[in-house]
Amino acid sequence: MNLFFFALAIQILPTIIIGFLPDNRKASVVTHFLLVAGLILGFSSSFNALVFSNTTQHNISIFGIPNSLFRFDALALYFLCIIQLVAIPISIYSYSYFKYYIERGKSVRSTLVFYTLLLVSTQLLVSANHSIVFLIFWEVMSISAYLGMIFEKEKKEVQTGSFYYFVMNHIVVYLLFVFFFLLHHQTKSWLFSDFHISPEAGKIFIISYALSLIAFGMKAGFMPFHFWLPRAHPIAPTVFSAFLSGIIIKTGIYGILRTFQFLNPTPEWLGWLVLAVSMISAIFGVWYALAQHDIKKLLAYHSVENIGIIGIGIGIGFIGSAYHSLPIQVLGFGGALLHTLNHAIFKSLLFIGSGVISQNLGTRNIELMGGLVHRGKYFVMLFLIGSIAISGIPPLNGFISEFIIYNGFFVTAKELKNYYPLVMLISAVGLAFVGGLAVACFTKINSIMFLGSERKEVKHFNISFYEYVSLGILAFLCVVIGFYPQPFIGIVNKVLNNGFVPVSSSSALLSINWFYISLIFGIIFLGVLFVYFWKRAIQNKYGRRTSAAWGCGYENVNPRMQYTASSFADELNEISKSVLVYHKNIKPSKKIFPAEASFESHSEDLVDNKFVLNGFRNFSSMISKIEFLSHTDIRYYISFILIILTIYGLIAFLWN
Amino acid sequence: MIQGIISILIILLLAPMFAGLVNKLKAIFTGRIGAPTIQPYYDLKRLLRKETINADSSSFISAISPVINFVSVVIAAAMLPIGLARPVISFEGDIILFAYVLGLARFFQILAAMDIGSSFEGMGAARETTFAVFAEPIFFFTLGSIAFMSGLTSIYDIYHSIRLDNVTYIIFIIVCSTSAFILAVTECSRMPVDDPNTHLELTMIHEVMILDNSGIDLFLYQYSSYIKLFIYAILETSFFYPFGVKSYTVGIIIFVVVIAVLSITLAVVETITSRFKMKNIPQYLLFATAIGILNLLIYTFTK
Repeated sequence: MNLFFFALAIQILPTIIIGFLPDNRKASVVTHFLLVAGLILGFSSSFNALVFSNTTQHNISIFGIPNSLFRFDALALYFLCIIQLVAIPISIYSYSYFKYYIERGKSVRSTLVFYTLLLVSTQLLVSANHSIVFLIFWEVMSISAYLGMIFEKEKKEVQTGSFYYFVMNHIVVYLLFVFFFLLHHQTKSWLFSDFHISPEAGKIFIISYALSLIAFGMKAGFMPFHFWLPRAHPIAPTVFSAFLSGIIIKTGIYGILRTFQFLNPTPEWLGWLVLAVSMISAIFGVWYALAQHDIKKLLAYHSVENIGIIGIGIGIGFIGSAYHSLPIQVLGFGGALLHTLNHAIFKSLLFIGSGVISQNLGTRNIELMGGLVHRGKYFVMLFLIGSIAISGIPPLNGFISEFIIYNGFFVTAKELKNYYPLVMLISAVGLAFVGGLAVACFTKINSIMFLGSERKEVKHFNISFYEYVSLGILAFLCVVIGFYPQPFIGIVNKVLNNGFVPVSSSSALLSINWFYISLIFGIIFLGVLFVYFWKRAIQNKYGRRTSAAWGCGYENVNPRMQYTASSFADELNEISKSVLVYHKNIKPSKKIFPAEASFESHSEDLVDNKFVLNGFRNFSSMISKIEFLSHTDIRYYISFILIILTIYGLIAFLWN
Repeated sequence: MIQGIISILIILLLAPMFAGLVNKLKAIFTGRIGAPTIQPYYDLKRLLRKETINADSSSFISAISPVINFVSVVIAAAMLPIGLARPVISFEGDIILFAYVLGLARFFQILAAMDIGSSFEGMGAARETTFAVFAEPIFFFTLGSIAFMSGLTSIYDIYHSIRLDNVTYIIFIIVCSTSAFILAVTECSRMPVDDPNTHLELTMIHEVMILDNSGIDLFLYQYSSYIKLFIYAILETSFFYPFGVKSYTVGIIIFVVVIAVLSITLAVVETITSRFKMKNIPQYLLFATAIGILNLLIYTFTK
């Protein structure tokens, strides 16, 4: 893995070089060049290790020095591959994104440093084998993401949104500290490779699981803890929000999977719990998304949905672990792992797309968009590929991972009998329902943003070469994994069988008839091509022209008369009103002749509104009670520290 | 394989006929003579020779959507068994692909409707989206329940695992065919969810979505909607196969009889009911879902 560390060294170089390059433009060019080069090198090394070597190394040497701080087992390599693979297009896009600000005279050098740190720390995080190393890089990752997030710190919403993220991170880190200390206490080691607690340990087992699931679940954005996502994603620079949504929340998933490795077999009820929480995340994530007008906020809620889908896979895996059933574990965790990759790909695609749009139009409100398809046809096609993939519709990659999860349901029902068929059926219906809502949501944003005519005049809509390249890479991956999933399934299978699922080799993943599915997708593709050309031939024969749309006799149709995003989703939002906190403010004109009237609708997050905001408010009022201790004189603080330390010292002294 | 190809050809050829039959029966029940049963074929033939007119504001979505719609519906049709014939596309898990391929068709249909930028189409698209969300669970509760209980995941195997052994089977058939019927009515935009013959844009769902299409585009849309109706009819007929296990002729006879009964039922329902209020439709669909759950409970307790 020397090559990997060499690649990291290349990637970290910009942080030093930027110090000597006062010119923003040059700094950006150098940084992005080094980042992309380093990432490609890193990807090739970790991909090579994942695919071609079959040893799970515990002690590796870095440039000849043996150490146990890092470990590259299959799971770590898999996540490394995801990070590097997705970071390449994000970094390519990042060049064009920052160019926009450089042209407007804004300094981007510090943000570039944070971006670099974020990339490097995330890669080191997943390859860490020592708890403290893990925590250090976890903290570096979180803080650099926070610092990058406040790029436009003069805006009020940026301050509040990033603060949410900051607070959330500290809670997570605090819980993780306790988690790792517990593990250390139990196993007398700091190394991941030594951690193992079985359920016989009793309370410790449950407490560790609870800590890990809350901490990592918070980072991943499972439902009651999702509140930071819709706050932090919209305000972050697109590069960071793509990275946050595509990769950083996946480190939460990585953590949960690692925890499973430390603590197994899981009790059955834990599987149920994870399944239920994930199902709620998936359904309400997408339902909240449906009510949003802010494109990035909408995509943030979709991350909650997709994390929910990944969680469903993990829940199935936990149930399988409780019953020591290999096929169930393989299908559950396999679906989760593949969906992690898929979501990283299409979510960064969609975020980058949204960034391109909002940079061009200067707004994130989809109600002000429309008709963009006539300005950037190919861009719309790429965005559409991402949308179809995320809705889980064949023939793209989202379908493949959801298909594995559905198979997990079927196999669980078949293997475990009892009341399982009933529950698995309800889960399948839940997932189908999520799919239906996702279709609703993505038809909504695609049609409101791109189709019809322009609601607000678009001054310019340019998509740079770099943007096309990065979107193109991601869309290409969506298509490849969709049409030809076999190699990716093979990789996931290898990850599972190399030390993840305790007993080696189960062919449940490979026994799904992937060839047949590829064949059908191929037939769909060829069929579409064939019918399309046949249609063209007919049109050539009998003619084709364009004309005004049917206006029911009305002549003065204008763009404002088009269906809007809120009217499109209104019926569904009405149904979910009770959980959604969906407000409508209608002021109809009451006069005989048309007069001024108004309508507005907005939605609030129940968790955010009722619990988090209230919690913060209560907490700050609690804190304000001890405000009298606050002084401007530093000597007071020093004496406080002294008093506290004395108390601690006394306790420690008396304890022994 | 040969049987499968024959099945899909039958579906492609007879689909318009089924729609024509329903319309003819409906006309008879309302005391009219009605168009000939093969009227849909004439319609399709006429559309094929017409000029295509697209709206000014339309884009490539309008051009590819009818094609994708048609191809996905045909692929879905190729997964369904007629009689004892094994369909062309049949593998473990095709029940999921079936539901999702129809989802692909719907995705593009909705986009194409919104592509025009007219609020008529928008209205239809919004309604289609809403009702589709509630229709999806019905499918899983009917066909999916058998899949989960029997442990089989291929539509062909699922149907052939149904055994005619006791009285619960009769209840099961009643429940399944009711919810499948409601599903068919919703997905194919028939009464009482949608009125295919209305002449007011504001009250339509499916028809209004294809309002601005003509020529070959409309041909593809109409043809795929005929096939879709036939697909759901076949879903319905398949519940009755256990009556004719192991015999091709009986299988075909059951197929014909059930199709005939179904078309009469559709016609009767369309004659005696009026369209629901739009806001009541989700409740209607949830009712069908509830029936599906009932079916599931029957299955669970008799096992």
